[in-house]
Amino acid sequence: MNTSKKQASIFSGVTLAALAAVVLMPLLLPSATLATEILIFALAALGCNLLLGYTGLLSFGQAIFFGGGAYVASLTMIHLGFGLLGALFAAMIAGAALAALVGLLAIRRTGIYFVMLTLAFTQMAYFLAYTLSDWTGGDNGLLDVPRPPLTLFGFEISDLTSSYAFYTFVAVMFMLIFVFARRVIHSPFGTTLVAIRENEGRASAVGFSTNHFKLLAFVISGGITGIAGALYAMLLNFAPLSNIELLMSENILIMTIIGGTGSLLGSLLGAGSIVMLGDLLSSVWPRWMIILGIALIAVVLFMPSGLWGGVESLIKRWKERRSGASEKAAKEAEAK
Amino acid sequence: MQVTTWKKLLSVAVLSATTAVCSAEEVTIYGVKSLSGSFASYGKFADMGSKLAVEEYGDLLGSPVKYEAIDTEGNAGKAVRKVQEAISQDGALFFNGATLSSTALAIGKEVDKAGGVFMTPAGADELTGTDCNMATFRWSVPTYGAIHETVEPLIKAHPEWKRWYTITPQYVFGEALLSNAEAVFEAEGIEHVGNSYHSLQEQEFSGYLTNAMAAKPDVLLLLNFGGQSSNALRQAVNFGLKNEMKILVAWSSGLDQLQELGPDVAEGVYFGAQYWHTVETPMNNELVKSVREAYDMAPNYPMAADYIGTKVILDAIAKAGSTDGAAVAKALEGTVYQGPTGEETVRAADHQVLKDYYLLEGKAASEMQDEDDFAEIISSGESFPDESSLDCTRS
Repeated sequence: MNTSKKQASIFSGVTLAALAAVVLMPLLLPSATLATEILIFALAALGCNLLLGYTGLLSFGQAIFFGGGAYVASLTMIHLGFGLLGALFAAMIAGAALAALVGLLAIRRTGIYFVMLTLAFTQMAYFLAYTLSDWTGGDNGLLDVPRPPLTLFGFEISDLTSSYAFYTFVAVMFMLIFVFARRVIHSPFGTTLVAIRENEGRASAVGFSTNHFKLLAFVISGGITGIAGALYAMLLNFAPLSNIELLMSENILIMTIIGGTGSLLGSLLGAGSIVMLGDLLSSVWPRWMIILGIALIAVVLFMPSGLWGGVESLIKRWKERRSGASEKAAKEAEAK
Repeated sequence: MQVTTWKKLLSVAVLSATTAVCSAEEVTIYGVKSLSGSFASYGKFADMGSKLAVEEYGDLLGSPVKYEAIDTEGNAGKAVRKVQEAISQDGALFFNGATLSSTALAIGKEVDKAGGVFMTPAGADELTGTDCNMATFRWSVPTYGAIHETVEPLIKAHPEWKRWYTITPQYVFGEALLSNAEAVFEAEGIEHVGNSYHSLQEQEFSGYLTNAMAAKPDVLLLLNFGGQSSNALRQAVNFGLKNEMKILVAWSSGLDQLQELGPDVAEGVYFGAQYWHTVETPMNNELVKSVREAYDMAPNYPMAADYIGTKVILDAIAKAGSTDGAAVAKALEGTVYQGPTGEETVRAADHQVLKDYYLLEGKAASEMQDEDDFAEIISSGESFPDESSLDCTRS
């Protein structure tokens, strides 16, 4: 009984809202490629949210997993002839393995030292990618990344050459990962992550091996971010060096914070806002980054739960006002 | 009877007008510019150049040319996605610009897939080398020419400068400049007394400059570019290196870099440049006049490069008489035209524009005739690898 209730909650509410957004995006946005980019970065923000929003870990290492996933998927497709799903699987494993490596060392420290360690790992990864130019293309980027057709059991389902076909595939991937992430959050494992975020000492005192939990959160986050990186390389047919630089980590973090930490739908909202803001404002005003800075300050000061938190409080206020009005109407009717 | 004749004439006139309207193909050229982000100062001038070329062009194939700017945000990924969008949404085929080599390489691939034409001034030799394709054309001289037209003339003019030291950014572009420089040193019997590599993000060069001073060279050759070459040069001048050796910046961005450095730093320093506004050619005289009228300034390299890149594509569309990308690319191949540097040729084999590269020497503030007279041209010329040695194997 309980299980079915939990399953119902995973496939309803926020999941339905995400599904509605995913269906509407290509219809409302100027192009399917823009919508695809939003979903890919929403996936990366979702991976980051698992760490920042649910575990309380501010990681600047997300670019390692994003760039690592992009390179591994591209290289396995170019040199080993991997298909679409094989390359995505390889990217997920690479992202998870890199996250395990970073996590193993970084989670030994907390607070500012943890942040500094993830920063240092990102710098190292960047210079490694830059130095291994025979594999990564160095500063020129890795060119000629294929976008293989989607095949299942030898049958070609779609060649994914059209932007709408690729969007549909990315949308399906996004929804699957979204549901998986909700399942993780609603599991005892997810509840423990929240307990660690709230008070690591207390979680440890009641017997949880907090480092193991944090490491597993890192691995899940890395796997999801690796898939996002691979999809980005397939979208562009190109894996630029900027995928693995610190600025990418910053962008993913900003999307997560603006959207709302601790909310998976917030990741979609955050990625959508930042990608669209850049797209719309950059053609109007070259210094549009100033607006991004102001938006970030405003969100942090006035909407600590991010845009999704703001939307939730608006809905709550509207509901309260509605119920207040109906109560008032009932009282008036009673008085009459 | 008369009425019937008038009716016939009227119907013929209406029919011809309709045919003319229907046959007019609207040409839109897309400017890929870094209008925001890290390279916005470059992108702004590049955009001004393309706009001016389109405004001056007037009608093409029966209707006015349209110009759409695509902001790369200084990010190769964003640039590629926006170009994909323009191709799939608007059927875009003609592109010009791209500051970063990575952006230009990736866009070249996308435009090639769409069967369009892309003219770029980006630096990567791969554009007309290993990653060449039917769509991509490059206006700027490759690293080979930049070294041959700067290092060789200095060696010839000053055979006594026998010892050279290099500072190189350790990435594909820097390595290409260095290997070309080493080949020239070997051919000319120059002693390469040392090289310091630095990373893509380096801004502090004192350690490399100290190494250079210790090697006691006659010439310090800076193989970095943009902000890095400006910072390296400023620090070298602060260290007093100008009094101990000659300094050559092989790949400068021309006027905008010299404006940024000022005559105190630039005086007596040698610069390699793709373009200089005082070049006496018929087309450059026209360009200087137009830019003065439109923007009240002298044209700089990004402006001139994107002006001519845009104009050359429009000329090729006119020559092809259609907006078919393959036909326009074919029309561009082998074209000889009057460009800002004089007679310029689009080499069919690799789509490289054959044009002059310049060696400049920075002037003292007291010698400047006007506010843009930062340097004089010491020498200029064309140097390109032979067709037999090209890496371009386009099918």
